[in-house]
Amino acid sequence: MIKTENLTKIFRTDEVETIALSHINLEIQKGEFVAIMGPSGCGKSTLLNILGLLDNPSDGKYFFLGEEVAGSSERQRARLRKENIGFIFQNFNLIDELTVSENVELPLIYLNYSAKERKAKVEEVLEQMQITHRKKHFPLQLSGGQQQRVAVARAVVANPRLILADEPTGNLDSSHGEEVMNLIEGLNKNGTTVIIVTHNQRDAEYSQRIIRLFDGQIITENIREYNR
Amino acid sequence: MANRRLYTLVNILGLAIGLTSFILISLYIIDEVSFDKHNQNADRIYRIVNKYDFQGVGEESSSSPAPLAFHLLKEYPDKIETVVRFFNNWTSPYFMTYNDKKFKEYRYFFTDSTVFRVFDIPFIRGNPEEALNPPGSVVITESTAKRYFGQEDPMGKVLKVEDAFSLTVTGIIRDPIPQSHLTYDMLISMSSLRWGGKEPQTWVWNPFWTYVLLKEDVKPGELSEQLPRFVQKYFYDAEKENISLYLQPLTDIHLRSDLDYEIEGNGNIAYIRILGAIAAFLLIIAFINYVNLSTAMAAKRSKEIGIRKVFGSYRKQLILQFITESVVISIIGLVIALAMVEILLPYFNDFTGKNVTSNYFLDPNKMSMLLVITVFTGIIAGIYPALYLSSFHPARILKGIPDRNRTGLNARKILVIVQFTISVALIIGTIFMYRQLAYINRTDLGFRKKDIAYIPVVYNPINRHFDAFKARLLSSPDIVSVTSSDYIIGKDYNTHEFRPEGFPPDQWQFFPALIIDDDFIETFDIKVVAGRAYSMDNPRDAEDGVMINEAMVKHLNWKSNEEALGKNFRTYLGREKVMGVFRDFYASSLHSAPTPLVLSMDKKAYASPDYRKYIVVRYQPGRQHEALSYTEKAWNEFVPDRPFEFVILEQELKGLYHEEVVMNKLSAIFTILVIFIAGLGLYGMASYLADQRTREMGLRRVMGASRFHIAGLLMKELNYLILAAIVIALPLAWLLVHNWLDNFAVRIPIDWMVFAMAGLFALLISTVVSTYKALSAYRVNPAEILRHE
Repeated sequence: MIKTENLTKIFRTDEVETIALSHINLEIQKGEFVAIMGPSGCGKSTLLNILGLLDNPSDGKYFFLGEEVAGSSERQRARLRKENIGFIFQNFNLIDELTVSENVELPLIYLNYSAKERKAKVEEVLEQMQITHRKKHFPLQLSGGQQQRVAVARAVVANPRLILADEPTGNLDSSHGEEVMNLIEGLNKNGTTVIIVTHNQRDAEYSQRIIRLFDGQIITENIREYNR
Repeated sequence: MANRRLYTLVNILGLAIGLTSFILISLYIIDEVSFDKHNQNADRIYRIVNKYDFQGVGEESSSSPAPLAFHLLKEYPDKIETVVRFFNNWTSPYFMTYNDKKFKEYRYFFTDSTVFRVFDIPFIRGNPEEALNPPGSVVITESTAKRYFGQEDPMGKVLKVEDAFSLTVTGIIRDPIPQSHLTYDMLISMSSLRWGGKEPQTWVWNPFWTYVLLKEDVKPGELSEQLPRFVQKYFYDAEKENISLYLQPLTDIHLRSDLDYEIEGNGNIAYIRILGAIAAFLLIIAFINYVNLSTAMAAKRSKEIGIRKVFGSYRKQLILQFITESVVISIIGLVIALAMVEILLPYFNDFTGKNVTSNYFLDPNKMSMLLVITVFTGIIAGIYPALYLSSFHPARILKGIPDRNRTGLNARKILVIVQFTISVALIIGTIFMYRQLAYINRTDLGFRKKDIAYIPVVYNPINRHFDAFKARLLSSPDIVSVTSSDYIIGKDYNTHEFRPEGFPPDQWQFFPALIIDDDFIETFDIKVVAGRAYSMDNPRDAEDGVMINEAMVKHLNWKSNEEALGKNFRTYLGREKVMGVFRDFYASSLHSAPTPLVLSMDKKAYASPDYRKYIVVRYQPGRQHEALSYTEKAWNEFVPDRPFEFVILEQELKGLYHEEVVMNKLSAIFTILVIFIAGLGLYGMASYLADQRTREMGLRRVMGASRFHIAGLLMKELNYLILAAIVIALPLAWLLVHNWLDNFAVRIPIDWMVFAMAGLFALLISTVVSTYKALSAYRVNPAEILRHE
């Protein structure tokens, strides 16, 4: 599903050049659950952004669903993104001015679903995430765990092929974190490819493969004994 | 950093533009309201107004009969310190010569020797107590002295006037200041004016502007209440029941007087108020922008503020810092504004016909006042952002938790609504003003205005050869007809006494009238609706007949135009009857409906050849140059000593609305400025909203939103503000337009399309700004946005 060849990302300002990723080569198959780990500043989130088509690499190749996408326009990336990828962020990134329903509905609006279809799908996914009773609330009225469940609902409402989660439990306590990881695991069991970025070992244990980064390079790649 | 510099620049620019406009308009207004106030007795000087009201028709004259002034002084010596009169032969020129130098003088007045006791007229040479006592004396201004005499001493020099009489220079005075309702190059002793060897004694003829200087501590009401008795005592029985007098304060004349026979064209207090409002709006809008843009920068400075607070800065210190910044920006704006005023002033003066200078603000007191206003403005404009910025919680800021102060946002939105309400209202007002003026120019006045020239001929020897001159002109194929009149049709008229049927024969009725000559009706294509026009085939027409208009028929309650025919309508010494009724036309500006009007060929008036004031020449369309060249040639054969001058009727009539035209242009310019500044403000608000919603926009892009979706978000939020502004502006604008149009007898309908256009234009600005801002934001990588969030 995903393949990179010598993927490199350099951030430049007037005075400083930072090599965030250097010659990353990896492959992720459909249905895999992969965790990317490493210390702060190692390039995990940068890699996730590129894999999620939020950013372009400075060099190298990136094949997504067999298509070379490195260097493609924002318009093309936006199209691929909305059709195939769901995102879950550490700080939830819900829109405070919209209700829970309206937040979850967003991807469907940009996929041009009709109002009736949107309503049905939103109801279904809120039910799945057991958050229907809060559908008219605003994010600031919810707990952290509830907000992250809404974020997960939003990420899956359009049935994406791939879920990318950047530190999904970073702002949650352990019980809520476990709740969210169980949800993500459930999605993976249903066939969705999942890539999470985390520095939390416990979260990483949900995955089948752990890729460790350090200073923008892959240093190890372990297939885990899947014990869960 | 670049962004912050841009914001500061935009802020200073907006303030500078607002201040420049404010200063220019203020200079104009100060000039206008200062008229006549340089006279130290200004608060005690009053002009006598004569109102002739014959059942709603007549005149309200700024001038009086000759004997009125000194009879008033004789009757009320306890109330009046002195009086003075001015007379100028209805602005007809005098030809004056000194040695071989010839000049044509329009700017003179015959005046009483008391003039220097009433008005402040500084002398350079001569004695104000005596200068205008003897007949044949004249006091001239310093510029006039240079013109006539160069370096020679003017005192005692003799000027020949019209080869008829002489004037001796008895004084040199300073040039009159422009801010005076009457200006002059020379003042001639009233005792020089003699008809039949003495001053005019009639109480009917009223071309003398008359002023009284009240004694100290005398209230004007004390004199006013005596005036009815005075009228009864002195005015003729035939008219006194319809006459009233009242006192007009000197300082009211320039801006609050629109009487018959004003000395010079006056201003209009309504337009001063409009300009004042525009000036205030511009300043308010500039300040609103400042507040909005400063607070829009708040998010960008939150980190700075958080750090300052962490390291011990008190809130008061921060407030002081921000207010100081605001005051400094205001002062920079003021400096730029003053420079812009200097650069723009010559163009502004050209445009408005004024001669204002910025010296007004060089006076230390005035400059201090301007500085105080600016500093005060800086403080007021800076207080809100200062309080808002200094209230940030350092911990929240340093954690990256953005401020979401809805109250502050709502206040700023209200300010944007205010800006756009003003903008939309001004757009509507300006468009209607333009349309009304265009309509006036197109309106059929009821008479022909094209291809006609007026030649001024008061006291001109050509009057003695009028018939021969006319015959000569008519021999040219380029000239269609020639006639004469006492006033320019459509511009002005006089009132004369008549004795119409149905009124007591010993009671005069004063009606507006034009004294005309043969071929007047034909020259102006005036439509005769009953009876007939004057005809050269009937030599007795001039003695036996007058023509009246339909409005006169209605005014006199005659049942029909036909019934009016044959009714008595006698002039002062005549036995005339109504010979014809003509269709109403606009005898003066379109500010008033057609008034009852008489056309009289009162040849007895023309018995004095000096009575004719204008010769009128109608030429073939497209042959103006040829016709007037021929006319000039003929003129030079008849009166080689007199320069040939003319005015084109169409231009003269356009000049009636000069004030409105200037106002319209000023209004258009300042409306554009207001829109520009409001646009800046909207840009600031769009920037603020875009900043506030950066995260949201990034998230939506992650979800797949296109640039148009993103632009739509911003557009929706801004357009709600604009729509609110439109809703408020429309009824306001309607009210203002409706009131202004009421000043015209002929007016355009209030067209709702204009309102719609103005509203759509405002929405267009908002759409353009929000689209631009959204597209700028769209160019930033969503990963960058989410990274920084």
